[in-house]
Amino acid sequence: MAPLQDIVERNQVWPRMAAKYGVSNPVPPWKTSLDGMCDALDHAVCDANIPDLKDRRDEEDSLTATVYADLPYPENQLVALAHSLLTRGVIDETELRERLASVRARLEA
Amino acid sequence: MTDHDHDHDHDHARTVAPMVDEITDFEVLEIALRELCIEKGIFSADEHRRFTEFAEQIGPAPAAHLVARAWLDPDFKELALAEPMTASREVGVDWLEPTGFGTPSDFTAFEILEDTPTLHNVIVCALCSCYPRPILGNSPEWYRTPNYRRRMVRWPRQVLSEFGLELPEGVAVRVQDSNQKHRFMVMPMRPEGTNGWDEDRLAEIITRDCLIGVALPKPGRTANVITDTRPAVHPVD
Repeated sequence: MAPLQDIVERNQVWPRMAAKYGVSNPVPPWKTSLDGMCDALDHAVCDANIPDLKDRRDEEDSLTATVYADLPYPENQLVALAHSLLTRGVIDETELRERLASVRARLEA
Repeated sequence: MTDHDHDHDHDHARTVAPMVDEITDFEVLEIALRELCIEKGIFSADEHRRFTEFAEQIGPAPAAHLVARAWLDPDFKELALAEPMTASREVGVDWLEPTGFGTPSDFTAFEILEDTPTLHNVIVCALCSCYPRPILGNSPEWYRTPNYRRRMVRWPRQVLSEFGLELPEGVAVRVQDSNQKHRFMVMPMRPEGTNGWDEDRLAEIITRDCLIGVALPKPGRTANVITDTRPAVHPVD
């Protein structure tokens, strides 16, 4: 999970970012979009290897208590979801890395 | 910054809160995952948008008004306990179609648990984090933690005391375990010192924590308890 490990190491977590910029919002602005993504995944009806609600939550619990124990919530929830989708082959590591680069380039353009 | 801008800087309460002026890796990751899922046909952009809009607008206000109305109107209280889905609709929540296009993962049966002088209810989801989102909004972080879920079912009084709620010996504690098919909320008792209050004023003290059962309504307290969330003592290997 190299792309995720890189993200963890860069540590751009919300409590640190919010303090740096004097922002008082308790959660990052992408939080409800993540909620929407989890709901949409839970309701996905397709052939892909998508974890159901219980599997997704169990994996989130397991990963946030171990591999991503140092991340705050909801960063740990997001990274755990990415980890689950990578492990199941729903998304592969190369395409994720490429997409991360293209999204960042777009946002910074 | 111009003098004109500066003149208005004091009015922060009515301006948009400042935002982080940096693109974080987590923001990028959320977008990347979402785009890849959409491209793979797992869900559509429209589905995601509508689930997100739903998540953004829900909160515990309808549930607080439901309880406040039940405190004031015995007939509505009877309805709330007998037909909670109907009572929910009267405070603006349709459990059958909360998002307007199908349900989020919070369905399907809803029950309101009434506290009495000898019984205190509290909800948990020991299995994952099932929560009555359509009427209570998103669950607090601590509700989702394995620590709360695991310990509340075993040592409810101890966990409640960590929230600052000490219950007398004569009050039994019933821990209701939510599941994927069944959701609950607590109807606490109306506290003393609220005579003559109207529904809006009562609703202010019926916090989310009161509706979960980790706090009791109290005149003067309108905010949830702040707890330090702790990692599980024995994390999953």
